[in-house]
Amino acid sequence: MNPETAPVNVTIDNRSITAAVGTSILQVARENDIYIPTLCFHESLSPHGGCRMCIVEVEGLRTFPTACTTPIDEGMIIRTHTAQIQEMRTEILQLFLSEHTASCLVCGEKVECREYMSTVRKAGVTTGCRYCPKDGQCELQAVTESLDVNEIIYPIYYRGINVETGDPFYDRDYNLCILCGRCVRMCQEVRLADVLAYKHRGRKTIIGPAFSRTHLDSGCEFCGACVSVCPTGTLREKARAWEGKPEREETTTCSFCGVGCQVKLLVKEDRIIGSLPADDPLVNQGQLCVKGRFCNTELVNGHQRVKNPYRHEGAISWDVSWNEAFALIAEKLQASSPDRVGMLVSPNLCTEDLYIAQKFMRVALASHHVDTTARLFYGAGFNAYLGLMKRAVPLAAIQNASVVLMIGLDTRFSRSVVGVALRTAMKKGIEIVTLNPREHTISLKANLWLQPGIGTEFRYVDMLAQLTRGAEVPADGISQVEREKLEQTARMLSGSSNPVILVGAEYLQYDSSRELLESVAQLADNIGAGIMPLPAQNNLYGSLLAGSYPELLPGMRSTGDDAQRKLLEAVWGTSLSNLIDSWTAASLVACDTPLQFLYAVGEVPPPMSAPADFMVFQNMYPPEPYGSADLVLPSAAATEVDGTFINGERRMQRVRRAVVPLGNALPDWEILCRLGRFMGATGFEFSRPEEIREEIARAVPEFTQENIDARTPMPFVLETDMREFTNDATAHHAAERAQTDSAPPFLFHASVIEHTHRGFPLSAWVDGAKLLFPEGTLTVNVEDAKALQLTEGDVVRVSGASFERTWPVRLASTQPRGTLHASLLETASSHPNPQPVAVRKADV
Amino acid sequence: MNEELYPSIFSQFKGEEGELITILLRVQEAIGYISQEAVKRISQFLKISENQIYGVASFFSRFRFDEPGKISIKVCMGTACHVHGGSLLADAVGWDLGITYGQATPDKRFDFQRANCLGSCTLAPVVQINDKIQGRVLVTELKETMKHREEF
Ligand code: SF4
Ligand code: SF4
Ligand code: SF4
Ligand code: FES
Ligand code: FES
Repeated sequence: MNPETAPVNVTIDNRSITAAVGTSILQVARENDIYIPTLCFHESLSPHGGCRMCIVEVEGLRTFPTACTTPIDEGMIIRTHTAQIQEMRTEILQLFLSEHTASCLVCGEKVECREYMSTVRKAGVTTGCRYCPKDGQCELQAVTESLDVNEIIYPIYYRGINVETGDPFYDRDYNLCILCGRCVRMCQEVRLADVLAYKHRGRKTIIGPAFSRTHLDSGCEFCGACVSVCPTGTLREKARAWEGKPEREETTTCSFCGVGCQVKLLVKEDRIIGSLPADDPLVNQGQLCVKGRFCNTELVNGHQRVKNPYRHEGAISWDVSWNEAFALIAEKLQASSPDRVGMLVSPNLCTEDLYIAQKFMRVALASHHVDTTARLFYGAGFNAYLGLMKRAVPLAAIQNASVVLMIGLDTRFSRSVVGVALRTAMKKGIEIVTLNPREHTISLKANLWLQPGIGTEFRYVDMLAQLTRGAEVPADGISQVEREKLEQTARMLSGSSNPVILVGAEYLQYDSSRELLESVAQLADNIGAGIMPLPAQNNLYGSLLAGSYPELLPGMRSTGDDAQRKLLEAVWGTSLSNLIDSWTAASLVACDTPLQFLYAVGEVPPPMSAPADFMVFQNMYPPEPYGSADLVLPSAAATEVDGTFINGERRMQRVRRAVVPLGNALPDWEILCRLGRFMGATGFEFSRPEEIREEIARAVPEFTQENIDARTPMPFVLETDMREFTNDATAHHAAERAQTDSAPPFLFHASVIEHTHRGFPLSAWVDGAKLLFPEGTLTVNVEDAKALQLTEGDVVRVSGASFERTWPVRLASTQPRGTLHASLLETASSHPNPQPVAVRKADV
Repeated sequence: MNEELYPSIFSQFKGEEGELITILLRVQEAIGYISQEAVKRISQFLKISENQIYGVASFFSRFRFDEPGKISIKVCMGTACHVHGGSLLADAVGWDLGITYGQATPDKRFDFQRANCLGSCTLAPVVQINDKIQGRVLVTELKETMKHREEF
């Protein structure tokens, strides 16, 4: 609002009101608690003026303007509820209702029903039964109520459209659609995803993507933003439609990636029934991706979740009490030597859990053998990646940039909020260059799309680094078109103010990942760019800060660092082990000496690791089919604990407990503290996460309460070089095998799936994720598949120089011809990556 | 599909959003309908989503999205033809081909459309088979004609 413009005086329903110039009548009315019925209006969308429910009378005007689109004017005299207007509104509503076959709107029981929403909204007039969700979101009911409409007077026009249920996460029943266009505006104007559009016209008008495609085939991100704004039951969440109204909400941090979106959890009867974006100005600005919006509810409510500690031996398993479990662990640990025990923790856990985990190893077991799977994920590029994290700029930098370079980043099903920010920035004129061999969400609209061959991405970045240094670059192996694009990119980057480089996770498991990341750093140096590494792990920084690595003590200081050792010894009241060896999570894979005792905390050990003599598996779900364990302990989910995550921008953010842990599950820190106390160790007398944070603050100067409140990016003090997991570690695993297949070779590339949580692929426990981002499938180009006579779901055998695996096939037109891609839990056993392979249909 | 088709159509345009309708018209002239392939190509050319293009195109009834049949049969349903029993003729053709207007037979041999006025009102009711207009058509006559439809 412009302070220089004088406020405007208006009269609404005989009340004199002063408001800022430019405000709409509707807005002024709402601010002053004057109710005007609306249907197509929504606060976060541009006014549309389509439903005409908000018409008002303005003295001196012969027509009735819509309050949502009409700005106030000096001296306006507005009446919102004259008999004439109410009659017109009723007439309009009746027209809506004749196409909206829902008797629940005029049902005699609607008052009781509204209170409890105890039944499904069974709605039948003359058309058979329609089911409408009971999520308390229907605004048509509210408007019908306000106009006191109790019967539908016009003949029912029933469109008889099939309910669209084929897409994951939400269904669509366009028989209930009132064409208010909110979903279209959300998808086109706010998300800028352009999936939904009006199709056809007149009575046949319907909303949806091109032709009669599914949302899955139309580039939909499954962000659910359209579902959230639909004022009818047309768009409905599969999982929430019959849950009723939430009793309360809790704001927390999403646990699925390093963006760290703020999420509003909907709770009913101590159960999470849904999750919606929180309107957070710092990070996600009211947006989420499919993981935060839809996967969470299903993941935390899965019926297969572990509820009790249980012992597993051979083919049988039986529940044990917590104390029996602790006694068993203590017994096994007594029989193991400190250099033959190990702990694998997940960078998905809270900082408090991670801190306690490493403290348990260092204090109770006098061992530094604690590591995370991030080491395996980043492989040979670990240090280079951490180097980029050190330079991370906040997400807001996108809006101030003039050019953005995206490297290996597709924001469709992960980090979608970054995608929204990018597209919004594009509207404002920011130029985008995207480097990715595969067609992806932004490739259509980006100013330039660099399309390296699979496996040559690092060369492109290196060429950009050289070109921006002014060096001449030999053009070998790169087409003229691509070369020109590279030169143009180099010019754009060099000539721009505040360029930003976004690094996605797509090539991080390639053999060339280190070169790629180092070139990114060089390129950034040359052009003075800000870097935004967007880690797949929600609490990667927290895991470093908490010291859950063998070479790092809390505070990101080296395990050999005398000052930090002294500080910790003082805080912990114990002396630290001097046994500093080369053990890391990679040793599990190399399996030189199998461990006597392995403790997986919120993590699934890599499939090819050697079994330990005794393994404890502490997680939300049972280890099968991704592994097995001797003792399974139930962890609380991220929605059931208090704590903190530190995102990729290095903002410390709160995780809030929305519901109590399922069954006998406990927060990970609490399990470890209880175990520590059971074993007689001191320093585990915590009863709340705050107490743990107080101790961390004493051990780590960078960690303060202030960080949590202000959420300002924390410093990155890591000086130590981390040991890297290179594929040589597994080289001797791969038996050389002769290539016998005669099928033409394809270039095979694999990545570690980033849609995981606590070591499990989301597709293991979330139904919709099986369709969107399945683990362990092979993506084949549609045309290639035709030539190979493959159809979706066929099982194929892929044989490379060092491996042979079978996977079901997924078809995609976005996969470059002649290449095959697999998203896997680990890629080490199929290295080199990429590599030529032969492929044929597996024998049935 | 002729690989040169889209480049040659697009070469006459600047690639601005406002050119969408004209491009759609050109494409329909060239291949007789707006194919999925066409929508994808236009999307890449204009940098707007396929969904939006389809939304715009489907608003206009002159665009069709299925491949037309080779032999076109149009039954006029304009005012004059309508009062002279055009709809009976349409029914007859529909029964015969097993489809309704706006469709093509699955083998893409016949294409059945209704027209709003074929400009020969004095001859109502009118049927047009390919380029040939037939006037004062009786249902029995039309049925007889349809028997020889493979020779049209
Ligand atoms: S889920 Fe998101 S991307 Fe998909 S149609 Fe709705 S708003 Fe558009
Ligand atoms: S689907 Fe919902 S939001 Fe979209 S137009 Fe229909 S009623 Fe409105
Ligand atoms: S972008 Fe990341 S933090 Fe945001 S909702 Fe998705 S997974 Fe969660
Ligand atoms: S709310 Fe104003 S026209 Fe729909
Ligand atoms: S109405 Fe049929 S030709 Fe004019």
